[in-house]
Amino acid sequence: MISRGRALAFAATVPLLTRCVFDRSAVRVGSKNFTESFVIAEIYAQSLEATGMHVERLFNLGSTQIAIAAMRRGNIDLYPEYTGTALIDVLHLPPISNSHAAFEVVARAFKQRYDILWLAPSPMNDSQALATTRAVASQYGLATLSDCARAAPRLRLATIQEFLARPDGLPGLARYYGGFRFREVRTYDIALKYRALLEGAADVASAFSTDGAIATEELVVLRDDRHFWSAYNVAPVVRAQTLAARPKIATVLDAVSPRITDHVAQTMNAQVEHSQADPADVAAQFLKR
Amino acid sequence: MNPAEIRFEGVTVRYGGVQRNAVTDISLEVSGGELVVLLGPSGCGKSTLLRTVNRLVPLQSGRVLVDGTDVAQLDPVELRRSVGYVIQAVGLFANMTVAQNVGVVPSLLAWTRADIDTRIDELLRLIGLDPATYRNRRPSALSGGEAQRIGVARAIAARPRALLMDEPFGAVDVVVRTALQRELIRIVSELRTTTLFVTHDVDEAFRLADRIVVMRDGHIEQAGAPFDVFQAPATAYVRQLVHAGDDVYLQYYMRTRELLRAT
Amino acid sequence: MTYLTTHPWRVAALAGSHLELVTVALAVAFVVALPLGVLAARRPGLAPWLLGTLGAIYTIPSLALLAVFVEVFGLGFAPIFVALVVYAQFMLARSVAAGIAGIEHAQVDAARGLGMSAAQVLWRVEFPQALPVVIGGIRVAAIAMIAIATLGGYVGGVGLGVLIFNGLTLHQNAMIVAGSVAASALAIAVDAVLRLTERLLAD
Repeated sequence: MISRGRALAFAATVPLLTRCVFDRSAVRVGSKNFTESFVIAEIYAQSLEATGMHVERLFNLGSTQIAIAAMRRGNIDLYPEYTGTALIDVLHLPPISNSHAAFEVVARAFKQRYDILWLAPSPMNDSQALATTRAVASQYGLATLSDCARAAPRLRLATIQEFLARPDGLPGLARYYGGFRFREVRTYDIALKYRALLEGAADVASAFSTDGAIATEELVVLRDDRHFWSAYNVAPVVRAQTLAARPKIATVLDAVSPRITDHVAQTMNAQVEHSQADPADVAAQFLKR
Repeated sequence: MNPAEIRFEGVTVRYGGVQRNAVTDISLEVSGGELVVLLGPSGCGKSTLLRTVNRLVPLQSGRVLVDGTDVAQLDPVELRRSVGYVIQAVGLFANMTVAQNVGVVPSLLAWTRADIDTRIDELLRLIGLDPATYRNRRPSALSGGEAQRIGVARAIAARPRALLMDEPFGAVDVVVRTALQRELIRIVSELRTTTLFVTHDVDEAFRLADRIVVMRDGHIEQAGAPFDVFQAPATAYVRQLVHAGDDVYLQYYMRTRELLRAT
Repeated sequence: MTYLTTHPWRVAALAGSHLELVTVALAVAFVVALPLGVLAARRPGLAPWLLGTLGAIYTIPSLALLAVFVEVFGLGFAPIFVALVVYAQFMLARSVAAGIAGIEHAQVDAARGLGMSAAQVLWRVEFPQALPVVIGGIRVAAIAMIAIATLGGYVGGVGLGVLIFNGLTLHQNAMIVAGSVAASALAIAVDAVLRLTERLLAD
């Protein structure tokens, strides 16, 4: 009886010990709580795993604040962040629409303030946008936001509540461009917004430029010709400590990031949102290409 | 084996939170090999006095000496392993076999496996139980009498020099009790163990004792050989307890005492 | 149900990490609860306070307690692990106390009187007999912990809760169902195994 008990006790501690050992050597990848963040974080995680690193996933973090806090505490080692989000929500600086400039500013600030490094950004720019169907675009001659600002009195806008409230939503857009006095503005649930556009109940919809629907429905994204909106390029942000210990992380992720374009992001988002695919599968498919 | 001498010197015990003493200023000598019965009603302090010997009960004042050594100076665990202890409810360990129960103290004392096994068989035969049949039985499969016998065997397994018994036969029926009494007398005379036996049963006291110690309210009323107590009761209480002066009782006590010692 | 059939290995891997989390937490919780239960059994006066306090902790909503631990430990394995250890105390300590208290007092008296040290009484007489009750307590605690451990998907990226919470965020019901069904299946399996163990030990 005694030896059996001791054997059981020992067996129970083994996984605890292995976890302690494991924890030291795992790279912890985080993500925020929306589809695109999941997918890109999976891409990062799987790329690192392909080189033999042990990766732990701490996805679904509630907000940028939580993600940054987790980084600074050392709960996670890296996660995908957007230059625009970092600029506006973390550093409380005014938006910068030039991708390179935005990146430079956030990279320098994060390094100085938080000891967090920005690796190479992706071309994909998940910025806000106005989207419309090809039919509507050709009917009203819409190619840029300036076009839309002028044509607005003849157009109906489908949007979400947040777009009407944010400073860089409709209020800021109208102030910057002038015009944008829509014939009708209707708010929808985020899941139903595109349906209104596609069914003809609205002419223009607020969007994010990497929304899946843009690829699947062949929507037109109106060009921000006067550069109102901030750049929102995604890049891996890594704890300086972690990168110093494992410089290979930069090599691996820098090789992957340039491949994530707007179209790629739209396609992957569509697969998760519309086809109910597992983000891990979508990421794996992308990496195989 | 040298049977132990037990001596109580001015022993007073008071349990925590109680005003009255359980026993007050008791002095008593028990010679080696004697079977002394502590006789009295419940609450008289007989069990308490018994349990001061193996330090299950702490003293308020006074000393208890075993072979001249104050028990307070001995390691209690070691002391208890050298003094046998039997209680009314027996307390056989339900998770162990009869053999394991009997061999408990030898195993605590790190006897060799072989020695323990030999001793177990020896003891089972001594108490009249066939080792082959009883070794692997569980306590739940024993009758009251069998359990009591095994309790006694367990208590004497490591050849203690003293044996403490707290109303051990109170829970069995009269027929079994008589058989157990006879066996106890036989065992104790064979092994010459100093025995302190607690009971409230006057018959039992007269049958077993070399000396009877009558107790009441934490005091000793009288201590003496059974016949002496009967012939010359020291107090009115003792007189009415033992039916002193009643010849019928005298005959009865002497006769049963004789019968139990007949081989 | 479809996620279970299309991603069996993923579900299995998460079920494995879920089980590992619960097992380790249970083992540590038991080591902590054991002396508490023994103390409660030895001091009947103390028992209501001790078990009452543990019981009160048990009624704290798990998410609230978890939030406190996240504040202290950050995100990851640690907060959910500590939360599980804390929650299990009540059920484990109570079953240890009940198991020991349920043993015939005469056996304990005899054990002491024959010369067993306090530790020997515990180890040779009390624990073996308390075991069926204690295993029963472990079983109840394990089932509760399997449920609470789903929150590990929320704060630690570990266990079947990952499927549930990811599914909620991504609006994928198949994931939510897969996570829930797998967690239930795990609970049922663990319950069956421990019942069997109880029965074997009682013989």
